[in-house]
Amino acid sequence: MAAQTDPLFGTIPKETEIKKEERTNYMDLPTPIPFEEAHREAMMSLKPEHFEGMRFDFTKGLNPRFSLSHSLFMGPMEFPSQSSEVIKIPTSNYEFGANFIDPKFMLFGRMLTDGRLSARLKADLSDNLTLKGNAQLTNEPQMSHGMANFDYKGTDWRGQFQFGNGPLFGLSYIQSVTRHLSLGSEVFWAEQQRKSGLGVAARYNTDKMVATGQMASTGMVALSYVQKISEKVTLASDFMYNLMSRDVTASVGYDYILRQCRLRGKLDSNGCASAFLEERLNMGLNFILSAEVDHKKKDYKFGFGMTVGE
Amino acid sequence: MASRKGNNNDGVLSKVRNTINSSSIVQKGKQAASSASTVFWKVCKSTGKAAWYTGTTTLVLIVPLIIVMDREQQLIEVEQHNAALLGAPTGLSPSM
Repeated sequence: MAAQTDPLFGTIPKETEIKKEERTNYMDLPTPIPFEEAHREAMMSLKPEHFEGMRFDFTKGLNPRFSLSHSLFMGPMEFPSQSSEVIKIPTSNYEFGANFIDPKFMLFGRMLTDGRLSARLKADLSDNLTLKGNAQLTNEPQMSHGMANFDYKGTDWRGQFQFGNGPLFGLSYIQSVTRHLSLGSEVFWAEQQRKSGLGVAARYNTDKMVATGQMASTGMVALSYVQKISEKVTLASDFMYNLMSRDVTASVGYDYILRQCRLRGKLDSNGCASAFLEERLNMGLNFILSAEVDHKKKDYKFGFGMTVGE
Repeated sequence: MASRKGNNNDGVLSKVRNTINSSSIVQKGKQAASSASTVFWKVCKSTGKAAWYTGTTTLVLIVPLIIVMDREQQLIEVEQHNAALLGAPTGLSPSM
């Protein structure tokens, strides 16, 4: 009997503790993460930057705030085609970049040999207001674009106003509802593509897991679930459904962060298995291996790369 | 003598063979065998395909994981071994 009452006594104070915690926390809920990054953890684990061919990245810091980057890529590039088979054309390009990083002001510029030029900017205008901008210039007339975002961080909410050329306008808002749950919504309007829409998202996160769901009036439904098994291991799964095109994709993946390497693997319902290994060979020297095997399209992509610096 | 005997035997054999061949059981058996062989071939092909898919998927997803985890395990063992040998760093690291 004593053994039975003990756990009871043990549980009652716990419940009241949790209630107390929640009650106090309703006043100061944590700041949610930005609306556009609601799927951050799932994206990190399931969508590494797969590539095919060889890449070499080199970053050299000139002083603590200013650094230059050089990157070289050689390998086949995919081009869209009418038939189901993928057309690949061997390409090579070199990218030169300059970065300026200051705690309150960041500036990144990139230039490719094929004439693409891009710039990114992040500036903290005040403690709560951040301006983000990015622009891209290309030889092709329709592909150049520019965009500016104003992010406002409140105590338990975040808002974002976005405008770009086209014109394109977007507004999003996310609010913490409880300590773990946050809800958000967005409105966007793009004249060029004659599209406008509404979206809602929910995100539930604890220390061990993150579950998110997003729906947009364009017909897109995205669900994701990430479970942290231990310090090193994370498992993630996601589900995408497009009401308009009736496309369904589900994928499961693992993410191992070990002392010398990070390995991410994924298997999806389209019959595509992929793995991405980042290996730290030395201080500031990373080796990357990327593999993607698509059984359905019979498309096999393997790549290796090296990252020096940072 | 031998050749005539052989002819004789041949004749009997061919007769037997003809009667066997023309019987309905044998015809059915032949059909069954041919369809069985096609089914067998299809099963072989599909199992081969399945083996290819699972094999390549394992090679991409599981093999690197095993290698990486094995190496991590070795690293931890070496570290523990070193710590046990030296002794001093173990005393220092928890206090850090």
